[in-house]
Amino acid sequence: MTLDMRRSAPKTILVLGGTGYIGPHLVEHALARGHTVTLFNRGQTKPGLFPGVEKLIGDRNTPSGHDVLTGRTWDVVYDLPTTNPQWIVNATAALRGNVAQYVYVSSTAAYKDFTRSFPDEMHPTQDPAPISGPDALGAAYGPKKVRCEQLVQAAFGAGATVVRPGLIVGPGDLTDRFTYWPVRIERGGEILAPGTLDDPAQWIDVRDLMEWMVRLGESGTGGVFNAVGPRTVCGIGELLYGIKACFANDAQFTWVPQPFLTAQKVRSWGDMPVWSYTGASTVAFCTSVIEKALAAGLTFRPLATTVRDAMTWYHARPAEEQAKLRAGMSAERERELLALWHAQPREGR
Amino acid sequence: MRADHTPRLSPEPPVSLDRRHFLKTSAVLGGALGVGGLPAIVNAFTTAGVRVSRPETGAAQPTPLRILILGGTGFIGPNQVQYALDRGHQVTLFNRGQTNASLFPSVPRLIGDRNDPAGHDVLKRGTWDVVIDNPTTNPQWVRDAGRALGGRVGQYMFVSTISVYRDNSKPNMDESGPLHAPTDIDAPFDRNAQFYGPNKVRSEQEAKAQFGDNVTIVRPGLIVGPGDLSDRFSYWPVRIDRGGDVLAPGTPNDPVQYVDAHDLSEWMVRVAENRTFGTFNATGPKTPTNIAELLYGIKAVTTSDARFTWVPADFLAAQQVRSWSEMPVWMPPTGRTAGFMAVNCARAIAAGLTFRPLADTALSTLDWYKTRPAAEQEKARAGLAPDKEKTVLAAWHARSR
Repeated sequence: MTLDMRRSAPKTILVLGGTGYIGPHLVEHALARGHTVTLFNRGQTKPGLFPGVEKLIGDRNTPSGHDVLTGRTWDVVYDLPTTNPQWIVNATAALRGNVAQYVYVSSTAAYKDFTRSFPDEMHPTQDPAPISGPDALGAAYGPKKVRCEQLVQAAFGAGATVVRPGLIVGPGDLTDRFTYWPVRIERGGEILAPGTLDDPAQWIDVRDLMEWMVRLGESGTGGVFNAVGPRTVCGIGELLYGIKACFANDAQFTWVPQPFLTAQKVRSWGDMPVWSYTGASTVAFCTSVIEKALAAGLTFRPLATTVRDAMTWYHARPAEEQAKLRAGMSAERERELLALWHAQPREGR
Repeated sequence: MRADHTPRLSPEPPVSLDRRHFLKTSAVLGGALGVGGLPAIVNAFTTAGVRVSRPETGAAQPTPLRILILGGTGFIGPNQVQYALDRGHQVTLFNRGQTNASLFPSVPRLIGDRNDPAGHDVLKRGTWDVVIDNPTTNPQWVRDAGRALGGRVGQYMFVSTISVYRDNSKPNMDESGPLHAPTDIDAPFDRNAQFYGPNKVRSEQEAKAQFGDNVTIVRPGLIVGPGDLSDRFSYWPVRIDRGGDVLAPGTPNDPVQYVDAHDLSEWMVRVAENRTFGTFNATGPKTPTNIAELLYGIKAVTTSDARFTWVPADFLAAQQVRSWSEMPVWMPPTGRTAGFMAVNCARAIAAGLTFRPLADTALSTLDWYKTRPAAEQEKARAGLAPDKEKTVLAAWHARSR
């Protein structure tokens, strides 16, 4: 909280993208802290956002798409939407020498082995994807992110800031990967809860991430950072019970062990969002070591605030989007699994 | 209309508030947004956006009642008063005029000392739709109130306790459970804790003797929230907010029950509106909950770095850590206390008892606690002393290594 109070000198900030899910939160916070913001994007997504902010138009998929950036200077650039390494090649070529700091939003998916718990920033990364050639476009997400990171670091050196978030959640999240839980818990009744209370869970409120990234720009902090929360190791039990505290209904959890779920082809992360377990193919996403980000000032809202704001946003969505979540399991599937689980012969029954 | 009631989710150093001001504020925050005759059931957290499933809690425009509240200035009373006023009832207070004497300046107040033989004389005039007797453990107070009020009362609501039950060994006990043997009403009143249950049993009996069928007996469990001077719930929000390694008692699945003073008080007013009679266990929440849901739920309203170390009941007993007093809200769900935190409240729920989200209770308790004088905050009446917690945790970690 004290970090928020520390004001830096106003910075000039260029935001690549800035109108999607995470971007508007960054822009809002930067403006609130007195910085001057320029947006660079195609002008197609939410063009009416931030009418008072300078907007540069360019399509990063075209060879001359970054030309409008050439010759301008900024203190910090935030590259939010990039997975294609070619975009970094073009952006760094246009901005190098005119911008002191390049903040790139990468991903925990940059790490080589998702089955290994507790990756810190030194954890081996995937082999980088090629920038061009026949295999470039079809490369996987993680290898592309690694190549992007390396390109930013090669171009900006100490001025490169690479942020590797885990699951980014909160208002505006169209993936529903976190939202599944508050929506499910709000519906009440018997809820399938995965594994054990202590299985790891990590997420970060989009505002915590964006506000911290603005502070990284203010302090000119370079380096590589895992960026997820909460502050201390958290179990899925703490997450689900914390969400439940925001509602007054008849929600009750039935904890179903992982081997049973696996036998029923229930996947961690996808079918049971946010959840992972030791040895799972997604456990790295839920156990990232964040000491470095904490030391660099990353802070966290109360979970209840994230839940409240995510649900306010969710209930404002069109009814058909509310009805069709993109993550989690359907009510029917949950019912089937619970019935199967209750029918299992168990000791003590 | 409600924007200004958005709670602070990250508690800031409080503005200095006196208790009176706070109680009024908290009553407003906690539910009494009785604007334009709306049923005042919306609460602070939900106004900020989270929708909750909430049962019907009574008519939007109840018929105004003449309500006499005995006490009314302590912990639960002010919530009743505020809620009743917001719903258009005429409220009169009867008490010594000593506790929070400046609360509710526009509410008529009858003065009397219930320990005084003539203390209830001021009640010998007037008729009431409802009398709510909040503070009474002494059965003689019920008798004297009954005699003074004569037959001029439509409904007498007595706040009893689940401590009336003799046998707490069975979960899911309903209102028909066996009671303690009552104390003798003619013997001098003994306020010793061991007679709390027996005194309440005798008071319940006396209520029926004095008021016949027009009696509603409410048996709450642990009543919690802003204004609770017992610290029996507040310990947890305060401890969790402080962060670090938190000693958590028993197993995550151990059952707990508690009721927010607002929920209890507001329901009692609705019970009066509905002229509901009978005896009701009144604790919560609606469906069984456990100590992990409580502690993790409290943590969700903080920015704390608290981590919980679950220490089994037998180890705590060996370390002389007492359940309930030192580990508030928690009783080992075994032996004589197996049912103490698992009382059946189906009747009260059927009669309209509702529950606000735990996040509301936790947040409002924490905010209130921080407005208390520093001396009170330092001398909590319940919970584990920090040094003792450290010692026990160290012993536990050493043992499990």
